[in-house]
Amino acid sequence: MQIFIVAFLIIPLLASLAPFIVRNKRFAEYASLVSSSLVLIGSSVILYLSVSLKTISIFNKAIVIDEFGAYIILLVGIVYFLSSMYGISYMRLAIEDEKMTDKELGRYYLFLNLFALTMLVAPMINNMAIYLIDIELTTITSAFLVVTEITEKSIEAAWKYIVVVSVGLSLALLGTILFYLSGNIPGSAHIVSSLDWTVLSSHAAYLNKDIVRFAFVLIVIGFGTKVGLSPMHTWLPDAHSEAPSPVSSMLSASLLNTAMYGIMRYFSIAGKDVGFGYPKAIMIAIGIFTIFTGVMGIINQKSTKRLFAYSSIEHMGIIGLGFGLGGLFGTFGALLQMLSHSLAKPIMFFGSGNLLHKYKTKDIRKIKGVFYVMPKTAFLFSIGVLALIGAPPSVTFISEFLIILQSLKNGYYIITIILVGLLVAAFVGLLAKVVSIVFGKDDDDPNIQKGDFGPLSILPMALPLVVLIILGFYIPANLHHLLIGITHIIIK
Amino acid sequence: MLGYTMPIYIYVIESLLVALILLSSFAMLSSRWVSFYIHSYAFQSFLIFILTLVLGIESQNINLYLVAFLTLFIRTIIVPYMLLRMIKKFNIKEEVKLSVKIPLSIISGLLLTVFAYFLIYRLISPFSPKIVVNASSIALSLVFIGFFMIISRFTTITHILGILIIENGIFLLSVVVVPTLPIIVELVVLFDILVTLVAMLILSMFMKMQTGSFSTAMLKRLVG
Repeated sequence: MQIFIVAFLIIPLLASLAPFIVRNKRFAEYASLVSSSLVLIGSSVILYLSVSLKTISIFNKAIVIDEFGAYIILLVGIVYFLSSMYGISYMRLAIEDEKMTDKELGRYYLFLNLFALTMLVAPMINNMAIYLIDIELTTITSAFLVVTEITEKSIEAAWKYIVVVSVGLSLALLGTILFYLSGNIPGSAHIVSSLDWTVLSSHAAYLNKDIVRFAFVLIVIGFGTKVGLSPMHTWLPDAHSEAPSPVSSMLSASLLNTAMYGIMRYFSIAGKDVGFGYPKAIMIAIGIFTIFTGVMGIINQKSTKRLFAYSSIEHMGIIGLGFGLGGLFGTFGALLQMLSHSLAKPIMFFGSGNLLHKYKTKDIRKIKGVFYVMPKTAFLFSIGVLALIGAPPSVTFISEFLIILQSLKNGYYIITIILVGLLVAAFVGLLAKVVSIVFGKDDDDPNIQKGDFGPLSILPMALPLVVLIILGFYIPANLHHLLIGITHIIIK
Repeated sequence: MLGYTMPIYIYVIESLLVALILLSSFAMLSSRWVSFYIHSYAFQSFLIFILTLVLGIESQNINLYLVAFLTLFIRTIIVPYMLLRMIKKFNIKEEVKLSVKIPLSIISGLLLTVFAYFLIYRLISPFSPKIVVNASSIALSLVFIGFFMIISRFTTITHILGILIIENGIFLLSVVVVPTLPIIVELVVLFDILVTLVAMLILSMFMKMQTGSFSTAMLKRLVG
C-alpha cells in the first residue's frame, strides 16, 4: 500500500520534471497527459480501496484516506486529466498565436504537474496543520501558473491571489493553533494532544467549546478565502480570468473542492463538540451570501472567463449552503454538486479558451455567432452551460434539487425562496450571455477563419458532458453508496 | 507560558520582551522607508528568538530550542537578508506610499492592540495566568497590525512584510499558548514562509520588470 501511494504521488512529480529532462515540447505534453491518465486510474483504485477497506492509513497514520478524501482525490484526478488533455491543444495555439517562448512553456508544465501533486496530497494528510501548509503550496504553484504569460494583468492577478490567500490562510493557521489549544488546556481532564483529524474527531467532545467556536470562524474565513466564499472571494475572478484556460479549470473545479474538504473536516469536529447547530448556521449564512455575490457578478459581466469564475463562486456557495443545511439530502446534494461542478466547469473554461484563441478577446459583446464559426465548440458550449446551471437532465439539477428539498425539509422557507430566486437569476443571467455568444448576430469579420480547432480541443469538452448527462438519468448504486458513506462521515 | 509555572524573573523578562516586540511593530508603522521596515522585522524576530530560547531553557523543552534556533536562522537572518538584497539589487530608494498617514496609523495600531487584548482576555483568561494573557494578546495584535500594514501601504515589500509579521504573531502565540505544539508544525510553517517569500519576491521582480515599480497602487485594472 505504501509503495502504491508513493508511486501515485511520484508520477506527477516526474511529469513536472519532464520538460527539463528532454528538451522537447512534444515530450512534455505527452508526459503530462500520461501522468494525468495514470493519476486518474490510480485515484479510482484509491477510491475502490478506501471503500472496501473503509480507511487507508499508512506511515504511522501520517496519511489517512477515507472515502471523503478518496472522493476529493478522484475529482482532482478527473480535472487534472481533462486539463492536461486540453492543455496540449491550448498551448500549441498559444505558441502559434501569442509567441509563447519555450521557457514559459517549460515553466507551465513544471507548475501544472506540481499544482496537481499538491492538490492530490492535500486530502491524504492527517495532520490538519500540514494540510493547511499544503494548501498554501497549491497557492504558490498556481500563482506561477497564473503568470504563465507575463503581462501586467496576469501579474496583478497573481499578486492579488498570493497576498489575499496567504493572509487568509494565516488566519486558518491561527484557527488551527486554537484548535490545538482547545484540546490542551491545563487542568482539564482529557488532553487531546494532536492535530490529526482522526484524533480530533474521535475526541471532539473533550475540546473546549468557547475556543472551538472562535477557532471554527477563523477556519471558515481562512479556508473560505481559498474556496472563494464571499466576502473573501476577491482574488478568484482575477486569477481565474487571467490564467490560461486549462489552469482556470483546475483552479475552479478541483482546487476549490480541496479547500472545501478542510472546512468540512473542521465542520464535523466542531459539530461533534458544540453541536451541529453552530457550524451549520455559519455555513448557511456564508453560503447564501456567496451565492448572492456570485449571481451579482454573473448578471453584470463583460468577460467570458470572469463570467464562469463568478459561476464558480456561486457553485461554491451552493455547496457550502448544502453542507450547512445538513441532513441526508443537503450533504448528499452538496457532494453531488461537487462532482457536477468538477465536470461542468472544465467544459465552460475550455470553451472560453477556444473562443479566446479564435476571437483574441474575452469581451462578451465582441464574441457573436460562434455557432456559425465553430459549430462543434458552440454545440458543446451551449449544452455545457445548460448542464452547469442545472437544467434537467444534467446531474446538477439533481444536486440543486436535493439542496432545495433539504431546506424545505428543515422548514427554512425564507432561505428556500432566496435560494430559488438566486438560482433562477443565475440561470437567466448565464443563459442570456451564452446565447448571445453562441447565436448572436454574426458580424462576418473577415479576419476570423471559420472552423474548429483539432480534436484535442473538442474531446475534453465532450467527455465530461456525456458523463454529466448520463449521471443525470441514472446514478449508479456504487456512487450512491459512496456518497451516503461520506454523508455519514461528515454528519455522524 | 501556558501549563508551566516559572520563577518570577522569567515573567519579568517575558514581559519586557513582548513589550519590545510590540514596540518594534509600532516602529514599522511609524516609518516611510523600506529598509527601516526590514530592520525592524529582523529586530522583532530576534526578540522572538530570545523569548523562545528563554522559555525553552526554563521549561527544558528540546523542541523549543530547535524552533528557537530555526527562528534565528530563517526569520532573523535569511529572510531579512533576501529582502535587503532585493532592495540593493533594484536600488530602491522610493518612499512607501501610505493610504493612512503615520499618526493615524499609530492610533489604529493602538486600537487594534486593545481589541486584541479584549479578544484574548475573553477567550483564554479563565484558565491562564495574567502573563500569558498579556503575551498572547500582543501576539494577536501583531496579527492585526500585519493586516493593517497590508491594507495601508502600497508596496510589494510592505505586503510581504505584513504577511511575515502576521506569521511572527502566530508563531509567538503558538510558543506562548501551546508550547507542546508538535515540532513538525513549526517546521512546515517555516518552510512555508521561505517558499512564500521566494515566490512573492519573484512575482515582485516580474512586476518591477513589467511596470518599472514596486508600487502596487497601479494594480487596479482587474475589476468587475
